[in-house]
Amino acid sequence: MEPIVYVLDEQVRDLLTHLTSAGTLEEGVAFGFDDWTVFHAYTEKPFTTPSGIVCPCFAVRADTAGMVDETRLTSSVRARTDLSERPAVVLVVDTHSDGTPQCRALIVSHSKMAAADTRFVPRRSELYSRNAGLLETSALAAKKVVVVGLGSGGSPVALDLARAGVGQFTLIDFDRLELGNISRHVCGINDLGRYKTLAVRDQILQKNPYASVTTMEVNINQALAPVEEAVAKCDLLIVASDNDQSRFNLNQMSLNHNRTALYGRAITRAAGGDVLRVRPWTGPCYNCVFSSGLIDGREEEMSQKRQALAVLPAYVEEDKANAMIQVGLSSDIAPIANMMVKIALLELSRGQETGISTLDEDLKADFYIWANRREEAYAAWPLMNYKWTRPSILRWYGARVERDPQCLVCGGHLKADTPLQGIVQ
Amino acid sequence: MAWTSQQSARLRLEMEILERYFPSFYLKDSIIPGRACVEGIIRSNSGAEYVVRLHVPADLPNSVPDLEIVSPFLHDRFGHSLVELGTSYPMHLLKPEGGLVRICHYSASHWNPNITFAKVLLKIRAWVEGYEGHIETGFPIDHFLPHMQA
Repeated sequence: MEPIVYVLDEQVRDLLTHLTSAGTLEEGVAFGFDDWTVFHAYTEKPFTTPSGIVCPCFAVRADTAGMVDETRLTSSVRARTDLSERPAVVLVVDTHSDGTPQCRALIVSHSKMAAADTRFVPRRSELYSRNAGLLETSALAAKKVVVVGLGSGGSPVALDLARAGVGQFTLIDFDRLELGNISRHVCGINDLGRYKTLAVRDQILQKNPYASVTTMEVNINQALAPVEEAVAKCDLLIVASDNDQSRFNLNQMSLNHNRTALYGRAITRAAGGDVLRVRPWTGPCYNCVFSSGLIDGREEEMSQKRQALAVLPAYVEEDKANAMIQVGLSSDIAPIANMMVKIALLELSRGQETGISTLDEDLKADFYIWANRREEAYAAWPLMNYKWTRPSILRWYGARVERDPQCLVCGGHLKADTPLQGIVQ
Repeated sequence: MAWTSQQSARLRLEMEILERYFPSFYLKDSIIPGRACVEGIIRSNSGAEYVVRLHVPADLPNSVPDLEIVSPFLHDRFGHSLVELGTSYPMHLLKPEGGLVRICHYSASHWNPNITFAKVLLKIRAWVEGYEGHIETGFPIDHFLPHMQA
């Protein structure tokens, strides 16, 4: 099989603008896979963390006739680098008569030189060709999503939105990836120790190299102003954080700026979970649902000690905090993340005729409940069996929740523009 | 950074409620988020007076306000300073700050923005009775005031 070399379309275009004379070698870097049968070649710094085995890469411009002296080129490459352990990738770039970039790759080892099958990646038009008809991908590319919490819930949501073609992200989290996260996270061992924001950003760019991703490594409860600024500019707020204080703060921000927000969480041991959509001032806010009693007895999953200690009084023994850490499987989190993605795409596509528009007619509720197993809050649910008219595990249930007129966040009790003068001593 | 308009409105609402149920309480020191506090006197059934300070959180009303007893200097029935007791489950005490006793009133898992300062002070009113019950009987405060379920 002929080796395959992938090169980034825009890097070849850039190369052609500054590599004006034929024969000059420009250095880059390549990464080889699978006994040197596949290479990813870069002429500039890769925009994501690359994988594979690093090997030399050179680029050269062909002469006016589109030719290059391969014997001389091979000698130059061998003189520049030691090829006894690994081959080098050489990119020969040129333009077609119609002005489009052209690139062919050669694989040069210490003993031979071979042509490779060269492929441009990505072409924006092809990137989301499989979504055509279902989503308006060009419109999604302009949408801005803020994702708060890049753990086992938020990271797959962010990644799936990138897969669907969403083009602009702000990722907010102050945690770093630890070994205990890996089994439920979209990132792996090679991201250990990194901020989750940066590791997920790289995953997003792997799926959508044209995405614009900004990151904020902050605790939102201590960085309210910059987070609110990001929320004010977004089209949709995704909340996958792990504490109520952050959700209350984000709820206020979504109301302040009239931004739709989606909240998702898993309950203890991920026996189930829920998803809430807040359409500011038209439906219930997070506080309306929280204080409605609907989530009483459905305690949030605690996946790390920091999370448990934050909600427990200081006198609670460490053993109790440790006992509260009861996590579920990645496959238990997946349905919750999946539901958030579906509602997110609906919200981001609102106002346009898409292949998923009928879903909007079904997803009338703002609050959805899911059960993975008959335990915890769902222990008394009937067996699934063959019945579909009774509550059962592994199905979504929409709950009708109205705005609470007594809600002290959105209920209209607060008189706007009330200066503090007169009540401060 | 200043209070947002929603927070200003909420503070005014809080003070209106306090004016009705805890009229001695006033907003003190600063209108700067993170520094403001509400201070006043709670009187027990026995007539003893306790100066209580509630720190207004910068993200009002989204997090649990810290609450401390400014005076008198509190001791347990056996003469030990409550500050020296440190965090105490049976006495509903958190880690003291600045030499003042901090009361555990709501845990973060029980907090929501519908809880007003007046409701917090109502719990402190109950704690004060529990404290005096402890002084009288020697039973810990949680004998009189059970804990909320975590």
